[in-house]
Amino acid sequence: MFRFQSLDEDCTLEEEDEGLVEEEDEIDQFNDDTFGAGAINDDWQEEHKRLAELDERDELAAGLSLGGGGTLGGEPDLGGTQHSSSSSSSSRLPPSAGRLPLPSSLPPLGFSSSSSGLPPPDVEDRPGDGDLAESLARLILEADPAIAGVGAAERPGPPPGPGLSGLHGLDQPRVLQQTSSIPHQHPHHPQLPPGPSASGLPPGPPPSSMLSYQQQQHLMRRGTAPMGQMNSHSIWENSMGFGPVSVTPGLVTHMEDSPLMSIIKEVGLPKRPPQGRNDEGRDLSERVPPPRSSSPVIGSPPVRAVPIGTPPKQPMSHALNHQNSPLCRGPFPPRVGPVLSQIQRAQLLNSQVAGFPRGGPGPPLLPGGGGFRPFFGGPPPPHGHRMGPPPPHGPPNHTPPIRHNTTHLHPQHRRMLTQRMQSRGGDRGRTGGDRRSRDPYSNLMTQKEKEWVTKIQMMQLQSTDPYLDDYYYQNYYEKMEKRQERERDSSKKEHTTKLITPQVAKVEHTYRPVQFAGSLGKLTVSSVNNPRKMIDAVVTTRTDDEEKREKQVWNKRRQILYTVEKMYSLLLEVQDFEKRFVQTPEEDRDALVEQHKSNTEQLCSSLMEKEWEDRVSDEQCVMIMSVRKGKRLISRLLPFLPSPQATAVVMAIARNLPALAKKDKQDQVLCWLVEPVSTVIQSLSSSSLTDLLQELQGSEGQLATVLHNKFGVTLLYLILSEGERMQSSDPNCQLMDDNRWTELVFSVTRELLSVPSSALSPPLFTPPNLLSLFSRYVDRQRLELLQDKLQMSALSR
Amino acid sequence: MSLLALTLACRCVFQLFYSFFKSLVGKDVVVELKNDLSICGTLHSVDQYLNIKLTDISVTDPEKYPHMLSVKNCFIRGSVVRYVQLPADEVDTQLLQDAARKEAMQQKQ
Repeated sequence: MFRFQSLDEDCTLEEEDEGLVEEEDEIDQFNDDTFGAGAINDDWQEEHKRLAELDERDELAAGLSLGGGGTLGGEPDLGGTQHSSSSSSSSRLPPSAGRLPLPSSLPPLGFSSSSSGLPPPDVEDRPGDGDLAESLARLILEADPAIAGVGAAERPGPPPGPGLSGLHGLDQPRVLQQTSSIPHQHPHHPQLPPGPSASGLPPGPPPSSMLSYQQQQHLMRRGTAPMGQMNSHSIWENSMGFGPVSVTPGLVTHMEDSPLMSIIKEVGLPKRPPQGRNDEGRDLSERVPPPRSSSPVIGSPPVRAVPIGTPPKQPMSHALNHQNSPLCRGPFPPRVGPVLSQIQRAQLLNSQVAGFPRGGPGPPLLPGGGGFRPFFGGPPPPHGHRMGPPPPHGPPNHTPPIRHNTTHLHPQHRRMLTQRMQSRGGDRGRTGGDRRSRDPYSNLMTQKEKEWVTKIQMMQLQSTDPYLDDYYYQNYYEKMEKRQERERDSSKKEHTTKLITPQVAKVEHTYRPVQFAGSLGKLTVSSVNNPRKMIDAVVTTRTDDEEKREKQVWNKRRQILYTVEKMYSLLLEVQDFEKRFVQTPEEDRDALVEQHKSNTEQLCSSLMEKEWEDRVSDEQCVMIMSVRKGKRLISRLLPFLPSPQATAVVMAIARNLPALAKKDKQDQVLCWLVEPVSTVIQSLSSSSLTDLLQELQGSEGQLATVLHNKFGVTLLYLILSEGERMQSSDPNCQLMDDNRWTELVFSVTRELLSVPSSALSPPLFTPPNLLSLFSRYVDRQRLELLQDKLQMSALSR
Repeated sequence: MSLLALTLACRCVFQLFYSFFKSLVGKDVVVELKNDLSICGTLHSVDQYLNIKLTDISVTDPEKYPHMLSVKNCFIRGSVVRYVQLPADEVDTQLLQDAARKEAMQQKQ
């Protein structure tokens, strides 16, 4: 048994060995299929660390080589190929990179020399710049904790090797260019001899690190490389496959066969902040799965190097707005622009933004002033996004102020705004520091995209009836214009400017469900334009009677308010009648007039007695006027009422003045009525006037109450003044025909004299002709008394 | 086309205060946000969502928001606004009431 087992064991072991071996192969195959040919089974953290160190030294060196004209390395081959890479930004990078202080210790910055061959001696060549760059870099890096952590890890240690390429960022073009393979190290040998491997590039293909991943793998498989070359390239390349490759489409050359290249060609990555590969969340495109070894299976979506939804990248859009783009102007060629890292952008801002606290809250903060300016010209103006009028002529030093798009504003409004801007501009002068004409945040969207967004917003604001939709704004500025006209007294004849708003023809979108004859029910055909009607909901409006019944249950005040509101809506319609009449086309005018008539009738009837249709209901009037809103309503309503009714209303007011005065104690808004009432009074006939005066006096003691109240006094004066005017102007007036008027005036004067001064409330205004009125009726002594009492002596005759 | 239909539908509700704020463009206002930050500035523009752009802003309350020191202009999303304090004489309350009545009438229809 034992033997048997052992035999078995032996056998199984053997089998296992073989099986294991096979499985390993299979596993490898699976591995490749899953992760792509470049998947390596290594410790990525170690890799990163090493890379970082390499990078740091390399970039430091690279950044310091100013304007070296591409003498990046000792290899003539490399240099040659580099130069031959036509419009590649890469070869221009180091010079440009040198001009800008670089955070040299940031590994993923693409500004390092692409060549492997930057010899360490270069570092010593330019110590001064290096210090500046380094100190700045450190400042920024330390400020940002995320980076500081990374940087700290990287800083120690000697610069391993110069030849690190900025694969993460910008030097991708070179990846594609190098068709030849380079020797590289199998990743499992971590100990790289640092140092001057730069010069010791294999005689074979130039050691550009920019090979595509797959080719590297192929090479590896083929085992061409002399393994002695353990420079940084290898590590970089091998790990490179996991990261996305940023390439401008124009530089894609040979690598047609690889699916990676095809993807990249298709998309063209937008900017990619190379924050170190530890920050994986920062860039969306980093979340992309690594490229596959084979093309995707049918049925699964194509692998996109950039997530769906990334706006199309147009590399030449930067060329459109030269003035505003520091990227075009700056040390970097346009191609490099979009791939600025966050740090670099911050540096740009640092160098350009005055007054921005350096190394303060950290570079990723947006500068307050500069960033927003160009956006102010865009939405939300609903009508056109053209740039507004040129900035006002402030002091000449006033660098471009905020541009207001005022095309959609009422001309009155526009005038006010520009006035205000000018006055402000004069005061302020050059505050706010240096306002840049260039904006580092411009050109994030193309003009087309901006227009698209604007169009959507504009569409929402197109209105078929601008007067109605924009009621407040339009009326406000009309009123303001009228006011100003009155003030200016037509010295400057600016005729009223009308705001012309574009109007959209109202298109009726009625939904008609799709139906076929003879079918049962509705079809389940729905689209965005006619969504399917799910429920046949019918709106039933309750009739007025029912509503009234309901309202009677509530308390009276609410009822009053409700009535007032109803009348208000009618009133508003009536008020707008004129305006609308002008606007409506001919055919509709009759209908409008009809409606207007009915509205006015309704209004009148609301004030009338229930039983007698031709008498104004005192009760109703008083009821309405017991509420502040109602008083306002009546004051606005009076001008629209036909004359007899208006008179009746005023009579009612006069009759019930004490009650009204009492209710008005809290609000004190009776005086709103003065103006419309005075208009009415001036249109009264003499007999009506007398009647009115009589009403005012009413029963005993009423006058006293009247005199207590400001409005009452004013009303009294108005009446008297009107009578006087009638008498003096028209000799034939019938005021004196019966004695009523005289008697009434007598009683008034009596009352005025007897009432203590304290009880007499000052009127809103005193008509000037009262004195002459009184002089007719009273003797001089009394006249003088009256004068003193009523303080009429101050009045000019 | 579809976009138009949708946007037209949602348009009607917004107009009253949009119209109102439009008339206040250029005036100084204080916007209090839901996070208790109060910003004083000149109203530059407003849109139908009542997003507000202010220029020349300053934080009114004691500057316990020092990060706003360097900010000159800002864009405030309408949904985060709690109050907008206005100059009283720039508002015509009567007109505003009328506008509200009209809006209510429109809504009913």
